[in-house]
Amino acid sequence: MSILSVRDVSQNFGATLALSDVALDISAGEQVAVIGASGCGKTTLLRLLGLQNLPSSGQLAALGFDLSSPSRKGLREVRSRIGMLPQDLGLVPNLRVVQNVVLGRSGKRNVLGTVRDLLWPSRVEREKVFKILDRMGVGGKMYDRTDSLSGGQQQRVALARTLYQGAEVLLADEPLSSVDPARARDVLELMAGLSAEQGITLVVSLHQVALAREFFPRIIGLKKGKVLFDGKPTDEEISTLYDL
Amino acid sequence: MWLGRRWLVVALGVVFFLCLARLGTNFVTHTPGSDPWASTIRFFSGAISPSLVDQNPSLPADADPFLSRLGDDLLRTIRYALIATSLAVPGGLLLGFFVSEQWWPRNGARVLFQLIRWPVRISLSLMRSVHELIWAIFFLSAFGDAPFSACLALALPFTGTLAKVFSELMDEQNRSPRGVITAAGGSGAQGFVATIFPMALPDMVSYALYRFECALRSSAVLGFIGVETIGLSINRSFENGFYGEVWTALYVLITTVILIEGLGHMIRQRMMSGKVRTRSSGLSESELRKAAPRDLFLRVNGVIWVVVIFMAFSIGEPLVTPMVEGQRSERISRFLTKLTPDPIAPEKSLLNWDARKEAWSDGSDQFVPWLADLWEYPGQEALINTLAMSVAAIIVAACLAILLIPWGIRTLANRNPLGLAMSRSSLPGVMGSLVRGFFVLTRAVPEYLYAFLLVGLMGPSAWPLVLALALHNVGILGRLWTEVVENQRRTIPSTILEVGGGRFQSYVAALLPMSLNRFILFFFYRWESCVREATVLGMLGVSSLGYYISIQQNFREYDDILFYTLLGAGLVVAGDLLSDFLRHRLRGENS
Repeated sequence: MSILSVRDVSQNFGATLALSDVALDISAGEQVAVIGASGCGKTTLLRLLGLQNLPSSGQLAALGFDLSSPSRKGLREVRSRIGMLPQDLGLVPNLRVVQNVVLGRSGKRNVLGTVRDLLWPSRVEREKVFKILDRMGVGGKMYDRTDSLSGGQQQRVALARTLYQGAEVLLADEPLSSVDPARARDVLELMAGLSAEQGITLVVSLHQVALAREFFPRIIGLKKGKVLFDGKPTDEEISTLYDL
Repeated sequence: MWLGRRWLVVALGVVFFLCLARLGTNFVTHTPGSDPWASTIRFFSGAISPSLVDQNPSLPADADPFLSRLGDDLLRTIRYALIATSLAVPGGLLLGFFVSEQWWPRNGARVLFQLIRWPVRISLSLMRSVHELIWAIFFLSAFGDAPFSACLALALPFTGTLAKVFSELMDEQNRSPRGVITAAGGSGAQGFVATIFPMALPDMVSYALYRFECALRSSAVLGFIGVETIGLSINRSFENGFYGEVWTALYVLITTVILIEGLGHMIRQRMMSGKVRTRSSGLSESELRKAAPRDLFLRVNGVIWVVVIFMAFSIGEPLVTPMVEGQRSERISRFLTKLTPDPIAPEKSLLNWDARKEAWSDGSDQFVPWLADLWEYPGQEALINTLAMSVAAIIVAACLAILLIPWGIRTLANRNPLGLAMSRSSLPGVMGSLVRGFFVLTRAVPEYLYAFLLVGLMGPSAWPLVLALALHNVGILGRLWTEVVENQRRTIPSTILEVGGGRFQSYVAALLPMSLNRFILFFFYRWESCVREATVLGMLGVSSLGYYISIQQNFREYDDILFYTLLGAGLVVAGDLLSDFLRHRLRGENS
């Protein structure tokens, strides 16, 4: 069953056409890699799937919510079920790890609730955060300042924030951009493992074709805003992806 | 570059000579028969023998001892600065929040927020552009209560400055964490509270502490218009020729300012770096929570600040003097009547609507000629003098700072400049400490105080004021510029040392050109502040706007004072806009 649906969507920023007539469906629990050169529209596609931008034309639906008739409340509700992992992780460096993780639930809180979560998280919440962090291997860092953690540990904290959010969809924008080649495999293993274990739909944008092929059953290849490939590539098709 | 660095330097040279032509070359002016050298030598000899007892032999026997009086004045100075800053910080935070764009939603409602933003920005600009001394003159006349008026006079412009800086700090924060909150269904306000505010907080605390340091200096300066702070002690002792007392008070003030600066530096460093934990594996959530890193220094400091602020409000002379019923409103009404331009001011009370209407119909045709008269003389001349003084001062300060900083840069002034072995001599390190010490000392003393002392020594001309502004600003520019150079990448300047060049060569050929855009940025930032100061320095008897303000103050002609104040404010706003424009252009080139 499709939970992310894109129908003939185009997106332009001024005179620049970022996406052109894109059509795709992503089913619940699917693991998808979006690959392509810099500036091909990967981030724009992820932002559209996360309902961050309204498309210039075409139809977009996520988790049963149709963006052609958006209501503010409905939009916030559906966003609270989608986890975004930006390239720079979007962590507040001078907050403690626990505080960054509890921010994942902002969509289910109002301003005062967010302040309370930051300053006085309840015991139940703290224990839940600890369990998730422990599962990610950074439980011992729960009360440390986030900027005192290594890059890899921060990535795990950002993932923990998405898990705490209870996201049904995880959209990760180039999670390997600042990771050395040896650690890249660990990051993807962790994401794919979580997705399989918890049934989270995973959409990741990447540059590395080999890693995409190894970890993702489905690859979407973008070039200049157009989908040139969608599916599981055969050995013959793989050279097409390297040319993107 | 849009103008070309060389052309900018040439233009500044030309402007300086224009200022020289305007202000004249009579650097020292003394009345015939006076011996300026004798009093100068006597004044500076006080520096090596500051007095710990009263120098005035005619004081009654039961008078408080000098040090006790000085201590009281210092405490009062600190108290006013504390109250003013503690009022200005929440005010600045609230108004800064309104001006910041970081919490605005991304829909049509932005237009509404723009509508709120502009009136707030204009009010902030007006609050900042009027000097605290002038606010104090107005408030003392309107309310009469020295403590309350002094605190309000300091708090108002400081609120404007804090709001501007706070909003800029919030706008400059990384927006990605806020994006994560909105992507997860949170609102813009939630994103602001949970990400932008915590990220900006260390810089905001650091800047608030810097403003407290400024408030301390400004509070001292209020003594020169009669408010009982340490400035009043300095004023009295100097006028009586008790230079030992003057130097003791100066040392006390400088030490206090330096201590506050040091404390601010420590707090900032702690807030920026945080504490790192090492042992944490195998602990449960509650154990981790108990063992969580907490900075005791910051916590204790926070408690101390709260207690001290509470004490400032509750202990000592009451902030508001009790008055007979109706006396205060009568006083305010009289002040407002005097503040109304003369041709349209009612005879009796401004609060009487009929009297006001009658006065307006009788004198409205005289209003424009009244303004034109004031502008023709002395407004125009005073305005140009004020501008010339501010420009000359910032150029002198910049020249001095640019010559001194190569000797003060930490990365150059040591045995191993930029990490390369150079010599075994400790002279560069000693020179570095001396230069940096000079910057600390010069910026610790307020401009007005320098000006007061220099006018006493050099006689009443524009140059003591220019020198006073330059002296204070050389300390600030020296610090800011040194930090810019120290933060530059070392690769390029170190190649000059590697091929046998010296420290000065690597500064002139690499570090200076690399840092020039940021130097210019800070130059204009300080010029804007010089314009503001130059408007009031004239109160010491030199023909700038402040001079006419102080004359009209004697006659309680508040409408004339308002005219000169608005002229000065206009100049400050124009300087602010020009400096903002240039800073944005330069920032664009930096990025």
